[in-house]
Amino acid sequence: MDVVIENLPFLVKGAYYTLLITVVSMFFGFLIGLIVAISRIKGNRLLRGIARTYVSIIRGTPPLVQIVIVYYGLVDYGIELGPFTAAYIALSINIGAYVSEVFRGAIQSIPKGQTEAALATGMTERQAMRRIIIPQAIRYAIPPLGNTFIGMLKETSLVSVIAVTELMRSAQLLVAQYYVYMPFYLAIAAMYWIMSTFFTFVLNKIEKRLSVY
Amino acid sequence: MKKLTRFIPMLLIASFILSACGQNASEDEGKTALQQIQDKGEITVGIMGTYAPYNFLNEDKEYDGFDVDIAKELANRLGVEANFVAQDFSGLIPGLETGKFDILVSQVTITDERKEQIDFTEPYITNRVKVIVREDNEDIQSVEDFVGKTIGVGLGTNDEAYLRNELLPQVGEFQINTYDDVITTLKDLDAGRIDATINNVYALKPVIEENGYDVKAVGDPIKEDQAGVAVKKGNTELVEALNDALEEMKEDGTYKEIYMKWFDEEPTE
Repeated sequence: MDVVIENLPFLVKGAYYTLLITVVSMFFGFLIGLIVAISRIKGNRLLRGIARTYVSIIRGTPPLVQIVIVYYGLVDYGIELGPFTAAYIALSINIGAYVSEVFRGAIQSIPKGQTEAALATGMTERQAMRRIIIPQAIRYAIPPLGNTFIGMLKETSLVSVIAVTELMRSAQLLVAQYYVYMPFYLAIAAMYWIMSTFFTFVLNKIEKRLSVY
Repeated sequence: MKKLTRFIPMLLIASFILSACGQNASEDEGKTALQQIQDKGEITVGIMGTYAPYNFLNEDKEYDGFDVDIAKELANRLGVEANFVAQDFSGLIPGLETGKFDILVSQVTITDERKEQIDFTEPYITNRVKVIVREDNEDIQSVEDFVGKTIGVGLGTNDEAYLRNELLPQVGEFQINTYDDVITTLKDLDAGRIDATINNVYALKPVIEENGYDVKAVGDPIKEDQAGVAVKKGNTELVEALNDALEEMKEDGTYKEIYMKWFDEEPTE
């Protein structure tokens, strides 16, 4: 256990990068998910088709493969991304597909009467969506979003393959130095767990906040 | 009834833990590793599998290379079959210690640090390590020029330990990016995401030829590394048997034959 204490700053730095990647990817994934969900519900046939294909491809391929394609694969076409940029892009695209499904379910669970009532008061389709439907849908979406969010936190360990020294890679580096497995992996398991518990706590708070709708 | 339902999961967990403990007690107790290997008729060899020309998957989808030929020849002389298992370099030594592999023949450089963890045979190859940069790079001529640059290296390799523990304090700050194999390291060097890497000259030839990377080796060799066959600590009979086999190979010319086959030059001893 001494080796862990000794190297804790190093691991904490790794945890910081893990958090950073999670938060950034989640932010962009959230935007992508919202756009995709709305285009699947309200879009014309072409938009709907594109959105459906995107979700199907992303959900049907391993995230590790997506990350490696973005980082190592795109180089062959002259696109050279830095490790962090590649991680943000790959994970945002990945999480966007899952978030869009969460939103689609949430939007469709808002009773039709709500839209009808909004239109009857003279709002346009767009206004009804923005003012009436989405605020309610976000509240419904919080618990499944929390799931997605925590899944995302754990998926960041996959970017260790593209030279990003996040929590997983930090542990691997230490294992390579000390040749002992268990202490370091137990330590990072605990750190992942603490982070996801913290996220759950924050999301619960947000859910309570939003229950005014 | 309620007591019983609470008791069953506990029973399950307890039995699971106990069965996990029981698995370690093998029936091979009292036999040396060498005897176990010869009883089984096969030796499990750990390799990276992505490190041409030492160990890689050839066109027939079989493991091939200098290490692989040496390992096959060693197995042959012990009277067993060689069974190859590929894994990231950083997992090889831990895998050896947990008994996943009997030996490692994967350019494991002999260092004092590693000697505390595992046993080595006599060296079977000496590699000259050089600085590798892109063809168009003129500002890195030696390790002194690493300051402020990003250097790529294989995770858990002896080169990584050298960069981190010897070079960093010596020349000043630079960033180290770690990769799981030589191919991805070179790909990132070629893409310009790292400024340089260090590796031995033999290892680079096939990868560069295969992919047409514009990279070059610069300056004099930084160091000369000797690689040996790695064996779990304490398996002395196995080390001795392997040493005898290596000695024989060197005397009857088999070793030289394998060396010439892969590197087109005479072994330097």
